Amino acid sequence: MAAVHPNLIKMVSAQLRNKANEFLNSRKHANNLADILQMFEASTDNYTPLLLTIEVIFTELLRRGDLIEEIVPLKPIEQSPEAEYTRWLRECYETALNQALECIKRGRMNSRLQALVTVSKLLQAEGKNPLESSTGFYFPSGRLKNIFTVLLDSEQSMSAPIARFQEFTEYRDVQQYGLKVLSSLAYRKSPSPIFMQNYLELLDKLLVTEIPTEAKSKNRNRNHDEKEEKILCGSDDKAPFPYNPGVCRRYANRCWSFACQWALCSDARTHRRALLLLVERLMPLLTRPHLATDMLCDSLDAGGSISILALQGVLELVRHHNVSYPDMYDRLYALFEPEMFHTRCKRRLLHLADVFLSSTHLPESLVAAFAKRLSRLALVADDADAAALLQLVANLLQRHPPLKRMICHEDTPAIMSSDPYVMEETSARSARALGSSLWEVSALRRHHRPHVARAAAHVLHAHRPAPAAPTAAAPPAAHADDALFDAELKKRFKTIEMNFIRPQGMNAPSGERLLQFWELMA
Amino acid sequence: MVKNKRNAGLADRVNLKRKTEGVNKKLNPFEVHINKEKIKILGRKSKHDRGLPGVSRAKAIQKRKETLGKEMKLMNKSNAFIDKRIGENNNQLSAEERIIARYAAERAGPQSKKNIYNLADDEIWTHRGQTLEQIEKFDDPRSSDEEDEDGKKFGGLDDDFVSEGHFGGGTLPKTEFKDGTKSHKDLVEQLIAESKKRKAEKQEEKEKILDLTEKLDSEWKDLQPVVFKKARVEEKKESIIDKLLSQAEKKNEDYDKMMRELKFEKRGTPSDGLKSSEKEAKEEKERLEKLEKERDMRMLDDGETLLSKSKPSTPKHRSADDLDDNFELDDEQQFMLAYDKDGKPLVPEKVLKDYSVPNAKPKFNDGISDTSSDDEASNSDQDDEENDNDGEDSREVDMEQKKESSDESETNSEGSTNEKEKVKSKFDKDLESQYQKYKNDMENKISERLDSDIKQNNQQRSDDKTNDKVCSSDDSENDEDDDGESIKSVNNDDTDDFKDLKESEEESDNDTDEEVDKQKISSFFEFELAEGDNLKELLTGKTPSQQSAALQRLIKSYDPGLAENNKELLSRLFAHMLQYINDIFTDLKDEGEIIKAFLIFDKLAPYFYDLAQTNKVSTKKYIVELLKEKHNIYVKRKKRVPDLDTLIFFKLVSLLYPTSDYRHPVTTPSLMFMSEILAHCKFNCPYSISRGLFITSLVLEYTVLSKRLVPTAVNFIRGILYLCANVSILNPIEVVPPFRLHRDAKLLNLEEDCSKMEVLNKMAAKDLALNEIDNDFKIRCLNTSVDILKEFFDYFNELEAQKCLFDPHVALMGRIDLDLYPKKVASKIAGTIKYMKEIFEVKTFTPLTSEKKQIKMLRLYEPDIKEVFTSSKSSKSSSENAERAWLQTKYKKEMKGALREIRRDKAYIASVKIKQKLQSDKVRKDKVKQIYKEASIQQGELNKLKRMK
Repeated sequence: MAAVHPNLIKMVSAQLRNKANEFLNSRKHANNLADILQMFEASTDNYTPLLLTIEVIFTELLRRGDLIEEIVPLKPIEQSPEAEYTRWLRECYETALNQALECIKRGRMNSRLQALVTVSKLLQAEGKNPLESSTGFYFPSGRLKNIFTVLLDSEQSMSAPIARFQEFTEYRDVQQYGLKVLSSLAYRKSPSPIFMQNYLELLDKLLVTEIPTEAKSKNRNRNHDEKEEKILCGSDDKAPFPYNPGVCRRYANRCWSFACQWALCSDARTHRRALLLLVERLMPLLTRPHLATDMLCDSLDAGGSISILALQGVLELVRHHNVSYPDMYDRLYALFEPEMFHTRCKRRLLHLADVFLSSTHLPESLVAAFAKRLSRLALVADDADAAALLQLVANLLQRHPPLKRMICHEDTPAIMSSDPYVMEETSARSARALGSSLWEVSALRRHHRPHVARAAAHVLHAHRPAPAAPTAAAPPAAHADDALFDAELKKRFKTIEMNFIRPQGMNAPSGERLLQFWELMA
Repeated sequence: MVKNKRNAGLADRVNLKRKTEGVNKKLNPFEVHINKEKIKILGRKSKHDRGLPGVSRAKAIQKRKETLGKEMKLMNKSNAFIDKRIGENNNQLSAEERIIARYAAERAGPQSKKNIYNLADDEIWTHRGQTLEQIEKFDDPRSSDEEDEDGKKFGGLDDDFVSEGHFGGGTLPKTEFKDGTKSHKDLVEQLIAESKKRKAEKQEEKEKILDLTEKLDSEWKDLQPVVFKKARVEEKKESIIDKLLSQAEKKNEDYDKMMRELKFEKRGTPSDGLKSSEKEAKEEKERLEKLEKERDMRMLDDGETLLSKSKPSTPKHRSADDLDDNFELDDEQQFMLAYDKDGKPLVPEKVLKDYSVPNAKPKFNDGISDTSSDDEASNSDQDDEENDNDGEDSREVDMEQKKESSDESETNSEGSTNEKEKVKSKFDKDLESQYQKYKNDMENKISERLDSDIKQNNQQRSDDKTNDKVCSSDDSENDEDDDGESIKSVNNDDTDDFKDLKESEEESDNDTDEEVDKQKISSFFEFELAEGDNLKELLTGKTPSQQSAALQRLIKSYDPGLAENNKELLSRLFAHMLQYINDIFTDLKDEGEIIKAFLIFDKLAPYFYDLAQTNKVSTKKYIVELLKEKHNIYVKRKKRVPDLDTLIFFKLVSLLYPTSDYRHPVTTPSLMFMSEILAHCKFNCPYSISRGLFITSLVLEYTVLSKRLVPTAVNFIRGILYLCANVSILNPIEVVPPFRLHRDAKLLNLEEDCSKMEVLNKMAAKDLALNEIDNDFKIRCLNTSVDILKEFFDYFNELEAQKCLFDPHVALMGRIDLDLYPKKVASKIAGTIKYMKEIFEVKTFTPLTSEKKQIKMLRLYEPDIKEVFTSSKSSKSSSENAERAWLQTKYKKEMKGALREIRRDKAYIASVKIKQKLQSDKVRKDKVKQIYKEASIQQGELNKLKRMK
């Protein structure tokens, strides 16, 4: 409808603006508000103009304080037309809010997002000009709760509105009250996977701004004053918002503990989302992170990106929480399969492997097996991945000098009839990689991409005293391929070489292969 | 010893005389003084153990008396009498002997010579054993008379002058000076001036004579015909007939003259001789070989090339004593960087080149600028050929044009075959000599690859050629055979399509729209915006060969040699042609359209090459832009394989640019693009699979020379095999992205028995338009991918990683039910599996070793070798120092001795003087006494007288 009549939309929004202005200018046009609210009933998929209108109206009303009802305790409710009008306005306000919340679930995505923004803006306005006059800091947590209830829908994925909501969770007060509200909403027996998704996403967004831990907060106190923290509902004439990281952490813990009771691991997406949340955001906040060990260990077996995320969690536990995990390296080893190129977490995996294998206390055979496996993978990998893998191999070779024998055998080389390395072996240590050589890397020197070939050559020269320390395996950026392509196109060349035999047709003068396999002209 | 030279010989002689006398004297024991030895040293001979002090002192005094004493006697005396008579001073000769000696000397004295100053007067000079007189033949009469004309030698100086002027005779004027002012110097100067003048005069005279002779000669030559003619004319006058004849002759003369003129006229400026076809072919071959070598160089990595450069191919010199410890001596001279006053570094130029200034920008050698650039020249042969043809046929262009392209190819290929034959026959002749044989082998090896390329070309073209020949003679009926056997082998449904094409071709042979075309061409570049449309107008609605002809005309009429901005226009034309190709390849729905598009492309491709050659930089820019645009379109939908309107440009790139370069501005990005497509797209429908195979075969074409590894292409083949194989879920074989395990599995798996089916062994154009996977498609996909796989496999025969790279392929091929496939295909696949397995069997794994780096040896000092070892200090020093020290000690010794001698001389002189003094005193005393005596006698006489008185 909107697409068909763009002019109509313009007309409607102009009309609405007029009505809103009239209403705000004089009480004579009070009915305009009722008309506007009436329009929510109409079935359409784009409420954006309406939402904008009510946002304007009620923000203005809140600012003016027209909605404030003077309630004197122990007195009957005033019956004056003034009070009547105020009461009517409040009712309208409530209906408008409810309608807007409804709109979050319905209609086009633009309009849904606008509804969310409108509600949030109204929340902000109400926070700044509370309905009941108070002196302290006021945050309309009831309203927030309403918003969250809508966002935590059981049937509908709310990832887009939640993502939009991130602009509000960056405020400290929203974060603190949000966590509190969320923890109160979290108690459910067996929620639907969609609900879990929404819940986890919302929690994730609430934790976007880092909550300072105790150790950090001490340091932070010093430059606290310099950095103005963003408060949504704060205003100059009110008391400042008492931000308490401890409280935040407690609520975050509570939220997580509720989530833990759900069957997070049943659905792969939920599982991944939960692990991502845990690893990325929650781990430093949890009071007893080792409780997550079981979940992480179970997830390790899942394969794919879930394993990678779980591995990161385990790494965190091992590094900071004294948890020992026996065959972590074999798990890591098992993750390096051609399958890994599919996963979105391959960069994370490479980074993790780099961290894991930077330990100097690892047995040679294990590191050698890794090097061998990585180079095998590099042989079949995509161009960008191959470069990253080779970088990792180069790092291994530089950090573990005994591996030198894999690229330059010192003794008189005995010619073998087969590669001693056993790819199928699950235990890295018994894969007999030390007796092998990195033939794969030498094959990669013939890679068609110059920079991969260079990287391979670099690996083969790793035993030489390198001037540079092992560089952190630079994971290929998201659009590395495109960037590389553009970079290649931009490269300057001294000369532009051309074939020296003039083609007589489609047939290349030398080395024609296309027509060898294709009969295109008959 | 300080001695007068005059007396040096004298002292010796005295000594000798004494010795001869006193040898026999017995030693008086009281005269002997014995020097006591404090320490006895064994083996040392002491010279001074005993001495005769008295004797030696007497000797010394005697010596001084004879030398110093004589000198003293002569002191302060102006005259000396020296007896120089022969033998007079030799006291061993008797008086008679002296007289005889004097007489002999007089007789032997200076021989009579005419001229004592010309010492080598009577020697005979020879040259190679012959006297000069014998040799001299006086070839040049002018030069011979130069010297001996007046018999004077040595610059004409006569005896008198020489005796006077030379040898100091000038100081004593023997000839009288009349005025007394002329000094010796003036005299000489005058003399020189005189001789110069004389010389000049002589020269002048000679030249005059020479001129006269020549003049005479020329005059004589002029006169000669007159003299002879006169005789003849006189003869002719005798008859009228002859007169008539002469008249006729006169007429004829013109003709003769003309004829002769023509005969002797310069026919053309001399230039490089016309090359024989053999030579030309040879040069062409050499050129191609050179270009190939360059291409191979470009194939290497920069680093590799550096390595290969730094490593000399052969060691400079290996001594027989080389222990093979491979020390690398760095002989590089250290140099000090210094600057002269202009601020230029004072460093050898070679060094400067190596250390080039870092921020000096490399010159952008784009090779477009002028027509005389190398690249142009390199391709000039082909162009020339073309141009020549054009020049001759300009009027019959219309007729010829159709054949031209084929003609060209003919000539080219004929040239190459000729060359080969000639080379071979030539070497057959020379086969008897071993050396030639060897050389032949070598040459063949070198040209093997080249030949194979050309051969391949020829084979593919041979059908066309033969057909074209026929068609030129027999006109249009044979046109149907134009595409040769290919058409016959194809299914019959296709041919219908083709007949249409062919027929239209026929019809248009007598085209009237040539004129229209010409108009279009002439106004082609008039509006920049309309160019693209112009091109489309020009080309659409025509058969491919007509299009090619039209395009050729267009390009020719805007030849860069004709007008200045034609080059730019042509580069714009290149862009429009790209657009045109893009247009004809977009949205191809059915097979016929695809084939037609490819046929057009086939005809137009050479012109792309020509245009790119004329303007390398801008055409490269266009292609790169195009790739970028296509890539951007692709990136938006990464899972979808781009259509032919993108893929065709990969083919175009491989036609225009060398795909083997390590890094190339066009081929590298396009290979990257292809690999990206193969890595990310989803291959699960005939559309994507056929295009994937298309790309893979292009990748193969790109890497055929450089044998580079393109993992995505190898993976793609693996994926196709996976789709073909009968895989089970229980026992999976891994596949690599973009294929996934258990997804789309058995998509291409053959389920029915097709062993009786006849299938082509190539993919066909119809596959690109296929919607449903049928058995035919499945079989051909497998067949083609196995073929491609084998080629890829062979790239890496020498690499160890080949096994792990291709192991999954073998395993997957093992899972294919070969019984279902047609026999030919099945046997081929089985053969491939066997072949690969055999290679795996014999594969050896050599551990990687790094190249042994040669150890740089430190520069050593000169070894300190002593011929004889002595512990003494002096011998340690070098010979120069030792000599110097020895000389110094000797000097010291001598100094000491000299001082002693001087002292003794002084003592002697003093003693002589005191003796003289004493003597003179004594004489005086005696005289005084005498006087006193006389006086006393006188006194006594006086007293006596007194007393007497």
